[in-house]
Amino acid sequence: MSYVLIIALAIYGISAVLSYLNTGADRGKMLHTEIKQVDQYVPEFTWTSLSNKGRPIDAQTLAAIEKDYLDAWYVKHVSYLTNTTAGIDDYYTESARENIFNVISLNEQQKTNIEGTTLKHHPTLEFFSEDGQLAVLTDHDVIEYKRIFNAEKLVAEINEKSTYKVTLLLEDGFWRIRHLIRVKSTPIKTSKNTNPKEFIGFKGINYYPQASPWSMYGDQFDTKIISKDFQIIKSAGLNSIRIFVPYEDFGRHNVSKDKLEKLVQVLDLAENHELKVLVTLFDFYGDYSVLNWSLTQRHAKIIVNTLKSHKALLGWDLKNEPDLDFENRSKDLVSAWLDKMIAFVKSQDSIHPITIGWSNVKSAQLLNETLDFISFHYYEDLEELTEHYKVLKSKVKDKPIAITEYGISSYSGFWNPFGNTEDDQAEYHKTIQSIFSKQQLSFMSWTLYDFNKIPKEVVGKLPWRKNAQKHFGFIDINGAKKGAFKFISKE
Amino acid sequence: MSFKYLYIVIITMTIIISGLNINQDKDHNSYSLITNFKERTAGDNITLEFAFQGSSDVFLYCSNSYGSIMLRPKLGKTLLFEIPKSISKKSGILNWQLHSDANLMSGQLYIRPKSKIETLETYIGPPSIEAGGTDYTMLVIVPTDNLDNPLADSTKVIIKHQFLETHKRDIIYTEHGFGYKNLYAYKENGRMLISSECLGLNSKEYDVNVMPAIPTNFKILADRIHSYADGNQITTFKTSIIKDRFDNTVSDGTFVSFYITNKTGHKSVTSGTTIDGIATAKMIHPDQEEQWTVKAYIEGIANSEPITLNYEQAVLDLNISFSENNRLITVGPLQSFMKQQVPNGLNIHLKIYKDDALVHQLIEQSVDGFGHFKLYADRYPKGTYTVEIKTAGLTKSFADIKL
Repeated sequence: MSYVLIIALAIYGISAVLSYLNTGADRGKMLHTEIKQVDQYVPEFTWTSLSNKGRPIDAQTLAAIEKDYLDAWYVKHVSYLTNTTAGIDDYYTESARENIFNVISLNEQQKTNIEGTTLKHHPTLEFFSEDGQLAVLTDHDVIEYKRIFNAEKLVAEINEKSTYKVTLLLEDGFWRIRHLIRVKSTPIKTSKNTNPKEFIGFKGINYYPQASPWSMYGDQFDTKIISKDFQIIKSAGLNSIRIFVPYEDFGRHNVSKDKLEKLVQVLDLAENHELKVLVTLFDFYGDYSVLNWSLTQRHAKIIVNTLKSHKALLGWDLKNEPDLDFENRSKDLVSAWLDKMIAFVKSQDSIHPITIGWSNVKSAQLLNETLDFISFHYYEDLEELTEHYKVLKSKVKDKPIAITEYGISSYSGFWNPFGNTEDDQAEYHKTIQSIFSKQQLSFMSWTLYDFNKIPKEVVGKLPWRKNAQKHFGFIDINGAKKGAFKFISKE
Repeated sequence: MSFKYLYIVIITMTIIISGLNINQDKDHNSYSLITNFKERTAGDNITLEFAFQGSSDVFLYCSNSYGSIMLRPKLGKTLLFEIPKSISKKSGILNWQLHSDANLMSGQLYIRPKSKIETLETYIGPPSIEAGGTDYTMLVIVPTDNLDNPLADSTKVIIKHQFLETHKRDIIYTEHGFGYKNLYAYKENGRMLISSECLGLNSKEYDVNVMPAIPTNFKILADRIHSYADGNQITTFKTSIIKDRFDNTVSDGTFVSFYITNKTGHKSVTSGTTIDGIATAKMIHPDQEEQWTVKAYIEGIANSEPITLNYEQAVLDLNISFSENNRLITVGPLQSFMKQQVPNGLNIHLKIYKDDALVHQLIEQSVDGFGHFKLYADRYPKGTYTVEIKTAGLTKSFADIKL
């Protein structure tokens, strides 16, 4: 029996070898024609207007150079992160790749890994040869960010702005880097906010439609419902809402046109009802890995540029509760990303203020120098709020402060028999409103509606958490106003 | 006894003082750069030296044009960081930052390329250009040192070329690490030899073909051994030497088509490619009196004036005989212009009509001056037919042939 098995395996092995040998070279692979293009690296890349020497360049060749040049950066980042050489051969000529291999072997010895990316490039095409095989460009003011790890421990963070002279050769259908020379470089400091934006106080509420919380822009998107809700919000005496733009759901760097249109419609409706909108970006984003920063940057660029001239826009909440990611993704990394993203959003929109919706008052002083106003979420004891606020106020000096989430669940039932009642909820809102008016605090409550379904990404799977989260609304599941509604905008 | 106290005092003092020192050190780590150069040449040994007080648990971040590394110091009275050769050999800005837990200090060096040349990296293209003075080839030169760094900008490069009797030197200066020169074609065709020189180093020889420009109009002539339309001999068409507008003979292999139009307006085409500017093409003579108008084209580029050729009738008469109850028709002997047999293969057409309607037509080819048509009884039943025979442009018709 085993003999038969061995023979069968041997035959299978031989036939596998033969069939492999019989397959010819894949023509697609030979000519690099297969479509494998997945954008994984999209830093800001702006050509200065073309006035190169040599042959005038056509758009197609320029695009090919851009693509291969960026890929060259990308494979280099990957190589230095992992100390491997995959892909380097495709984007660096034989003599240039030696230099990268040298760095890798040094870093391997020292157990150094470098997680880096570039966020901006401003190339000028200097020269394109008559036979179309050689191009020279100067890449001005490349914004580089590196995290240096030694024995897997973060030891340094590097921010540099450098200018490179690059010679590229067209070899085997690839534009390969032949010479790379850094001709200028300056370290860059994290930007201080020198020009704080005007902050207009608000009275608002976090908004999701009752039927589709946390997935507002899907098939259930209905402008009639949203319009009706905005009418309720407006007539309750509020003047603003806070909404969320989920990063993955909107298609990351390939922002879905359809969803973007819906987002604009929401702002249009808000404008119709004279409501201002605080747009929270990067909802459910939790990756932060440096190599993907350029993708988040592209995402922000599209959203910000679509909305920045909208009359209903109040400002940007860069990310909802990023401090909750400190534990898993490290505080350094999350802060570095936030810092870069603040600077980027500012570079795209010079008018609207930027904040970060910190999950608690203790985190709220982080990065305060770069933000236009400070916002945090408050679900703790109301008696301590005034004290917390005063401490924060003294730390952030003259930066305006707002609470962009607060509220209490009126759930008491099987999972929490001693929970709060609707009366307790009303009392809570009454109290907090009195604090707001006393301290002249801007606020946005959580939230308009009680919900039927809570996605597990929001508070996890545990039923006592889910059930509590379902009952934060001012309006219950049947559409009836709860006691707290009276205190939605004032004491 | 007093010595004992003295010892105790001294030891106590020493301990206190050393303790104070340690405390001071912990509070005041200080570092300062001793090396004071701002520039180095690629390949130099580069060592950064820092005077320090306090902790020596520091490292140096160091990045060149290609990548970044981390260095640990050699400890002594000072902190010594030896930049590895593979990093210091690349030209460009070298950034460094001294780190402990925080960034302590930073700076940069400029690494110059060497001023001694090792290689002239040369790129030339396109490899063939058109004569006439408007087309050009481009020579790109990247002079590099022995560490593969492009030499500093404004390095002088001499570009030399030879073409026919011309020898020329041009001087260019590098910018962005390279220099380039457009070398324009001359009016003549030929081969241009190109080389370059930089800092005493000469490149190898490169060549570029200067091809003739596009052809201009030309003449054609025909060559034949006689002017009879014998359907056998061959007429050869030839072009004049085809030249471009600068009087260069066009490239070998230029394709020429000869269009022949006969009396009835039908066209035939034959073609040839040029050798030394002359294209030849052949065409068999017609088999009946004909007048050909021939015009040659290099498609889309140039053409000739038309020429006219007359072919005289070679077969003057048709002898036709009927036998075997008219069922065997013999055509011939067919005789050419010297009464010789026409060559085998002359087409003979036979048309058979009954009651003015075409019943059938047959084609035979002549063999040894004769053509035979057999009219079989099963195909042509008894009756009266009209028979028409046509060959070499001659037609004879026989009415009322009884089969």
